[in-house]
Amino acid sequence: MKLLIVEDDTTTGNYIARGLREEGHAVDLMRTGKEGLIAATSNSYDVLVLDRMLPEIDGLTMLKTLRGAGNTTPVLLLTALGDVEDRIEGLHAGADDYLAKPFAFGELSARVTALARRPQALEAETVLRAGNLEMNLLSRSVTRGGVQIDLLPREFALLEHLLRRKGRVQTRTMLLESVWDIGFDPGTNVVETHISRLRAKVDKPFDRELIETVRGAGYRIAT
Amino acid sequence: MPLRLAILLIALFAVVSLLSLAASYAVTQSSFEQTIRADLRQDLAGFRAAPNARAVALLIEAESREADPQRLILSYISPSGRIYGNGAISRDDEGFHIVSFDRNRAEFAGEYLSLTDTLYGGVITIARSRAEILALRKVFVNILLISLLPTVLIALSGGLILARRSKRHVEVVGAALDRMTSGDLAARVTPGKRWSDDLVQIGDKLNQMAGAQEAQMRAVRGVSSDIAHDLRTPLQRVALYLEDLRGQLPAQGDAAALADRMQGEVDGMTRVFQSLLQLAQVEAGSPRARFMPVDLGDVCRAVADVFDADAAERNQRISLSLPETPAMLKGDRALLGQMVSNLVENALRHTPHGSEITLKLVQNGHQIALTVADNGPGIPADERDKVLERLYRLDRSRNTPGHGLGLSLVAAVAELHEAKLELADNDPGLRVTVRFGG
Repeated sequence: MKLLIVEDDTTTGNYIARGLREEGHAVDLMRTGKEGLIAATSNSYDVLVLDRMLPEIDGLTMLKTLRGAGNTTPVLLLTALGDVEDRIEGLHAGADDYLAKPFAFGELSARVTALARRPQALEAETVLRAGNLEMNLLSRSVTRGGVQIDLLPREFALLEHLLRRKGRVQTRTMLLESVWDIGFDPGTNVVETHISRLRAKVDKPFDRELIETVRGAGYRIAT
Repeated sequence: MPLRLAILLIALFAVVSLLSLAASYAVTQSSFEQTIRADLRQDLAGFRAAPNARAVALLIEAESREADPQRLILSYISPSGRIYGNGAISRDDEGFHIVSFDRNRAEFAGEYLSLTDTLYGGVITIARSRAEILALRKVFVNILLISLLPTVLIALSGGLILARRSKRHVEVVGAALDRMTSGDLAARVTPGKRWSDDLVQIGDKLNQMAGAQEAQMRAVRGVSSDIAHDLRTPLQRVALYLEDLRGQLPAQGDAAALADRMQGEVDGMTRVFQSLLQLAQVEAGSPRARFMPVDLGDVCRAVADVFDADAAERNQRISLSLPETPAMLKGDRALLGQMVSNLVENALRHTPHGSEITLKLVQNGHQIALTVADNGPGIPADERDKVLERLYRLDRSRNTPGHGLGLSLVAAVAELHEAKLELADNDPGLRVTVRFGG
């Protein structure tokens, strides 16, 4: 994928750029809103990563200008810690997702990838599949190799979320947001606990592991 | 105070008015009296001009016939004892006297001033009516009734109205002061249109003072969020360096364990900053415009679920008691979640193994009461207010994890949602209740 990062802090910018390049992306790194705006309008990117606070033209203004010009490239906005206001303002300005600083690289990478291939929200699927696992959304039943698996509601929701984003890493915070509808990190091991319960039911009795752990990032369903 | 002043002024005014009225009455009366005396002396001098007792008697007789006994009474008792004149008033002693007659005597009634003297062996008495003086007294009494009394009444009622109004105005100022004293620095005095200038000035000064204090408080609070903001970039770098370092280390081993612990510490720091910034934001009160309908029951379920595993690890239990219908209120879902989460986290952290935490929701019409109760050691009554202050920690909690911001955020979120926060004794333990829509 071709990515543009606009981040004024050189150290952070270089790290992100290096990490994303190591994952095989083509990355352009700009330091100011002005540079970023010029780069974004003269090239075609798959995802833009914008810092909220930038010299010359700040991230929000840059975003509004881009959207005003009809540019629809997905944008991940890096905001200040816990800045609810910033986040909401960012989403209003046309950002597709946000990430609060400080973030882990895994989280950033997972969100960038997720943005590049947003799930089709209106997909009218009734059965989700991975390997020999089948989830029927109508009867709310799960089978693997024809064997019935009983899941608690939250376990079902967690598995459904992962299945819908098959192959893409889902981070702790992403799971907390969409499965528990909690917009903050409560600092508990609830995600880990549920993943291990889910594994005990979905993976343990079978030969192949479907739920993979991605070190320092999160979880995904193997393709 | 203003009422007492008004009454005092009116009393003073009445006394002064009465005194001046009395003085002018006295002066007028005495001048009338002087005139009568002068007349009497002149009358007497006329009779003295007669050459003998016989002539005096004739003159008296003649003048009595002309005189109106209502105004003038003349009498002469001759040396032989015969009485002349239109009225037999005689005095043993000489000089001026005031004589009163009964009203039932037809010819003369009322008060007279008499002058008695001896003349040619007889006694002559001339009396002139004092009716004019009596009339004068009546006039003055009338003046008193017609002018002074209504004046006093008007002044009194006017004073009362003014006093009551100014009392009301003072009460407005007092109420604002009370609110400021109880910590509401946003309280202001709003002067009405009919306020007196001095009270408006006092109100303005009070508002200036409260404004200055509020700004100071804001500055103090701002410092913590400023620090958090400024540490954002270095913290971000540390997090990334650490992650990079961890990636270069083998999966197991002492160095890896150390790096993992450091990452845990960075996460902890991040959470403290997050709380500080969020607190500053919630206290600024801006998110209210974006309130949405939220099912508090749903929030409670999610929070209970999130903490369930942690509780189980410590052999603690979270029991959930929710109404069957959704408990809807308008609010910020993320903040409400954080509030419930902080309350539950607090309860879990400050109670020993094996304790039970109750998360309960009771709905009554528009009122929703959220209760988080535990059966742990509780909080002493005198420290219950203090735990709501940021960074305050009970002495015995110094060694438990946490940063003393949890309950401050709970208080701030409750205030943002216009909910009442109560800390009570659960006997044993602590019971925190948040009342919405009450």
